[in-house]
Amino acid sequence: MFLVAIKRSVIFALQSFWRNIWLSLATIFIISLTFLSINFLVIINAISDSAIVAVKDRVDVSVYFKRDVKEDKINEVKNHLETLPQVKEIIYHSPEDNLKEFKAKHENDPVIKETLDELAGNPLGATLIIKAKDLESYPEVLKAIDNPAYSELVEEKNYNDHQLVINRINTIANNIRRGGLVISIIFVIIAALIVFNTVRIAIFTHRNEVGIMKLVGASNWFVRSPFILENIFSGILACLLAIIVTYSFLALLQPHLASFFEGVDFDVTKYFNEHFLIIFGLQLVGITILNIISSSLALGRYLRS
Amino acid sequence: MIRLASVTKKFPPNTVALKNINLHIEPGEFVSIVGQSGSGKTTVVRLLIAEIAPDEGKIIIGGWDITHIRNRQIPLLRRQIGVVFQDFKLLPKKTVFENVAFALQVSGGTKSRINKVVPQVLKIVDLEEKRNRYPHQLSGGERQRVAIARALVHRPKILLADEPTGNLDALNSKDIIDLLIKINEFGTTIVLVTHNKEIVNSLKRRVITLEEGSIIQDQKVGKYII
Repeated sequence: MFLVAIKRSVIFALQSFWRNIWLSLATIFIISLTFLSINFLVIINAISDSAIVAVKDRVDVSVYFKRDVKEDKINEVKNHLETLPQVKEIIYHSPEDNLKEFKAKHENDPVIKETLDELAGNPLGATLIIKAKDLESYPEVLKAIDNPAYSELVEEKNYNDHQLVINRINTIANNIRRGGLVISIIFVIIAALIVFNTVRIAIFTHRNEVGIMKLVGASNWFVRSPFILENIFSGILACLLAIIVTYSFLALLQPHLASFFEGVDFDVTKYFNEHFLIIFGLQLVGITILNIISSSLALGRYLRS
Repeated sequence: MIRLASVTKKFPPNTVALKNINLHIEPGEFVSIVGQSGSGKTTVVRLLIAEIAPDEGKIIIGGWDITHIRNRQIPLLRRQIGVVFQDFKLLPKKTVFENVAFALQVSGGTKSRINKVVPQVLKIVDLEEKRNRYPHQLSGGERQRVAIARALVHRPKILLADEPTGNLDALNSKDIIDLLIKINEFGTTIVLVTHNKEIVNSLKRRVITLEEGSIIQDQKVGKYII
């Protein structure tokens, strides 16, 4: 008996879906648009997060040593810095490496080239490039370099520039995250209201049918279930449509992002693949719950008599 | 079969639709309830299908006191009373067969029972050949016959007909009344709510006349007096 009722509810839902195809398509379209808006926001968040990570990853502190400082002394500094928990990586550039790099960088500048030729030997010292585990750790790292035991070995360090960049990035990252959260919440509320009203309109157009069903002895459950199921079908199809459109959009977007994030491993399609279940699963669960609530509320007023 | 004891029904703000109505309808009777618009005829029908509850008095149908019927029991009541209305109340997106079958489906009727009973009732109302048509593809008289077929699928002991000929021409009206007489001859109690004088006078059956919510006349073989 119960299984028969469920089977009939499914059949009625499918029948109603098909026989009111234009209304069903309109509902699917609106729910899809809602999903697409949310996915767009997810894309923006993913891009901004990756951009922040990419910029953060490029931040480092370069310590330029005096020309006469021996390599074993620099290794001593390096070893000491490596013991700091804040330090992620230290790269040693020998004076020869630095000269080679400098020459390559200025190969089209005849003045610099001429000056270097006039100088006997290598005018550049060694460099340590230090990467911290996170942006907040740089002040600690810089403080360690200021150690009186090492400070006289150091010719120069790009402390101030990085401090400014670090602060700016942190502010931007926090603002984006905060703004993104607020926009996401507003978006979800608007999306929920749109879907809620779409379902209400769909049920309003069926109000006479609800009355007739009740008249011939249908229980409230029997009246309600096909409508809820029909709206769940619409939600599933809208989710599928949103997946197709989102991935098509990502395929178009990826080449542009690849050139923007040159040198950084960021693939927005891969991001969606990795987070597929959480992104689309949550949307599907959300729309199903929203459909059940809105269908039940919208039907309630027609089920009273 | 049907008993209304001292029933009063009021609607806000201060309309008294029925005043202290006492009514007893025996099994197998064919009763016409007549009266002008606003006399309380439709209120009687709405009370009998538990669409509304009385403010005072008692309503008993087939020994079942439905005065304070619970919401979840209403579907059970409606499966035992057939009802037809002036506006047919058919599901527009379902075929003739599906509309009739629907009344059985809601009560959990098996497929084999549906396939047996629905053709039988469609035969009674002479619509077997139009079983796959949709309501908008039928005439008014045919739509009303679908509604009657649907009302009959549970083999109800009572059939309430609220202005069943209100939207029909004279010829179709006669067909519907003839059909109701035929159903009554099978033993079903018919309660016909109408203000069609010709029909009431031609029936020569019991007539209950309502005026401003009160029964002003109840005749065994009555006539339309208003």
